[in-house]
Amino acid sequence: MTAPLLQRLTHTLVKPSVFDFWAGRLNPVWSWHRTLARVAERYPESADAVTLVLAPNRHFVGFEPGQHINITADVNGRRVTRSYSLTGIPRPDGKISITVKEVAGGTLSPHLCRKTQVGDVLELGTAFGEMLLPPAKQAQKHLFLAAGSGITPLVALIRSQAAAGMPGDLTLVYWASKREEFCFVRELRELAEKYSSFRVQFVLTQQSECLPDEKTGRISSELLMRCVPDLASRHVACCGTDGFVQATAKLVTDTARSFQAESFSPPTFGSDATGTVQVRLAVSGRTFEVPVGESLLSALEAQGEQPEYGCRMGICNTCACGKATGTTQDMINGDISTEPVQALRLCISRATTDITLEL
Amino acid sequence: MNAYSLNRPLTAAELHQFGAELDALRARTIADLGEKDARYIRRIVKAVNYTEILGRALLFFGIFPPAWVLGTLLLGLSKILENMELGHNVMHGQYDWMRDPTLNGKTYEWDIVGTAENWRKTHNFKHHTYTNVRGMDDDIGYGLLRIFPEQRWRPFYLFQPLIAVIFALLFQWGVAIQDLELGKYFSGKKSGEQLKKEWQPLRRKITRQLIKDYVIFPLLAGPFFLPVMLGNLVANVMRSVWTYLVIFCGHFTADVELFPKSVLDNETRAHWYLRQVRGSSNMRGSKLFHIMTGNLSHQIEHHLFPDVPARRYAEMAPTVQAICSRYGQNYNTGSMVSQFSQVAWRICRHAFPSQPKAEPVLMTQEVA
Repeated sequence: MTAPLLQRLTHTLVKPSVFDFWAGRLNPVWSWHRTLARVAERYPESADAVTLVLAPNRHFVGFEPGQHINITADVNGRRVTRSYSLTGIPRPDGKISITVKEVAGGTLSPHLCRKTQVGDVLELGTAFGEMLLPPAKQAQKHLFLAAGSGITPLVALIRSQAAAGMPGDLTLVYWASKREEFCFVRELRELAEKYSSFRVQFVLTQQSECLPDEKTGRISSELLMRCVPDLASRHVACCGTDGFVQATAKLVTDTARSFQAESFSPPTFGSDATGTVQVRLAVSGRTFEVPVGESLLSALEAQGEQPEYGCRMGICNTCACGKATGTTQDMINGDISTEPVQALRLCISRATTDITLEL
Repeated sequence: MNAYSLNRPLTAAELHQFGAELDALRARTIADLGEKDARYIRRIVKAVNYTEILGRALLFFGIFPPAWVLGTLLLGLSKILENMELGHNVMHGQYDWMRDPTLNGKTYEWDIVGTAENWRKTHNFKHHTYTNVRGMDDDIGYGLLRIFPEQRWRPFYLFQPLIAVIFALLFQWGVAIQDLELGKYFSGKKSGEQLKKEWQPLRRKITRQLIKDYVIFPLLAGPFFLPVMLGNLVANVMRSVWTYLVIFCGHFTADVELFPKSVLDNETRAHWYLRQVRGSSNMRGSKLFHIMTGNLSHQIEHHLFPDVPARRYAEMAPTVQAICSRYGQNYNTGSMVSQFSQVAWRICRHAFPSQPKAEPVLMTQEVA
């Protein structure tokens, strides 16, 4: 009884943002309701990837291995959000870790790889994602296929299997263009030595093989047969770029016992002003096709939606609403926005890809 | 042609070019937003929070007159800074590009009795879209004062020099109830039910503000309840008077123009720009003065670019002034004393019946 009353009283006196301001003076991750984390450790994981160990505040509610999380940091004054897989397993001290591969020309990954230091504060979202291992009644046979940073959710699953004594039979085939780009190499080799039920195969696409657990070449049915002759009896989990996942799906879907995949690709957008895209409204759950050339406000109204609006010329900010996913273009200055934003002005924005709005 | 206007009517082609030049200035500024602007607004947040806590702390010792005076000044300063440079500007969406939830234009709630929600409607939408358009912009005299000869004279206005002073002291309350449109209720154009519905959220906000400033903080001071309460009252009135001065100087100086509703027919963005220039006036002053007005001292730039971070107006102003002079538009600026004396003259002059000059002409008539 007293706690909510005290909270309400405090709320009357100080806004949560002001509370956070003063709490942050004492401890940078203290917050009224925001999930913040302090960077506790930072070490290189490969030639172009860095692992950050984060200590979240009490608002973080936990995760399952294989899930990812939205990480937000200030980059040149703008808060930028990207999803990263959690590479660890739940720890008693509550710390979590992410492994970030630097994307050339990227926004957040160069910041996290180069600028972020121990002691910095990042904001976290809630863990999400379906790349989980089904709770098995009996030990199962798995095949993990990872390309590049696709290793990150899979290493979490491997670590959780290892923590359980590697009950099933697990093979990892892991692609990278060059040897120095592989992450977690020593740990994976040590696990393979320790557990006879775990095998790891590193596959290079731009260098030639020279170690017993290395192979060369892009994914093909022939390469798969050499690495995993018993593919038909395995549950396959695949993670990598869109192209890699699609190629794998073609080769594996009909053969393996089951297939689940997750892909990530840089956003693409069409520059042509013809055609239609799909707009999904997250709150009302409605979805419809709208022409790409039209402002979102008039397109939504044509569909019978009644978003709030005012000036209809990009001045008053009344129609602004959150955009969760997708690419839009500012029709006045032609700027392209690929980021999730909190305030998209519907009256002067058009969608160039499928988008989700917080309406 | 309008012999009284300081402004030259533009041809359609000129108007288009005028708009394009302002659009280009806006695009250049937006493209340059980043770290510096984020650091600046966070410094303002810091200043608001520190001056508030210092002011309130000093007021706890308000039994000693110097502590009371200094505490009240600091608290007033904090409230002014929070309302002007922080709240007003953030609520325009000037910092939405930062994606910081505490600086989000749609959700920011400010320290004043009026609700942010009402403000976004009466100010961001009505006042900024329909600036100085008669019957559309409720900020013209706030339904209480006759500032322009175009407003119909009634005997009530004879009292307006006195009413204007009272209004200044209670300005935050005037802003708070502006959207209730009590005039409509009294003339029977708004139902009691509707008024009650609109009153609910405002009542909650008012209660919250009153409890905070006049009950909880004074109670926290224990035996020094009274000095704290009085200090908070004076700080709130300080803020009301200051914002009143700044806002009135922005649109009610001698040479600003008032427009009939017909200007809105098929209005283009360039046309809207032109109307903003003619309906607004700036104030000269030091850097600190500009910050304390929330950069509304650059009223012209603010009205042209309401969603551009206000700290940028100062650097945009010379370009805007150059564009205005090239297109024969009066760039209205002066000291606060000079601008406010013009406002005061308007308030006194138009308390009495007066005749409007010819309507302002924005564009030359195309000869068919």
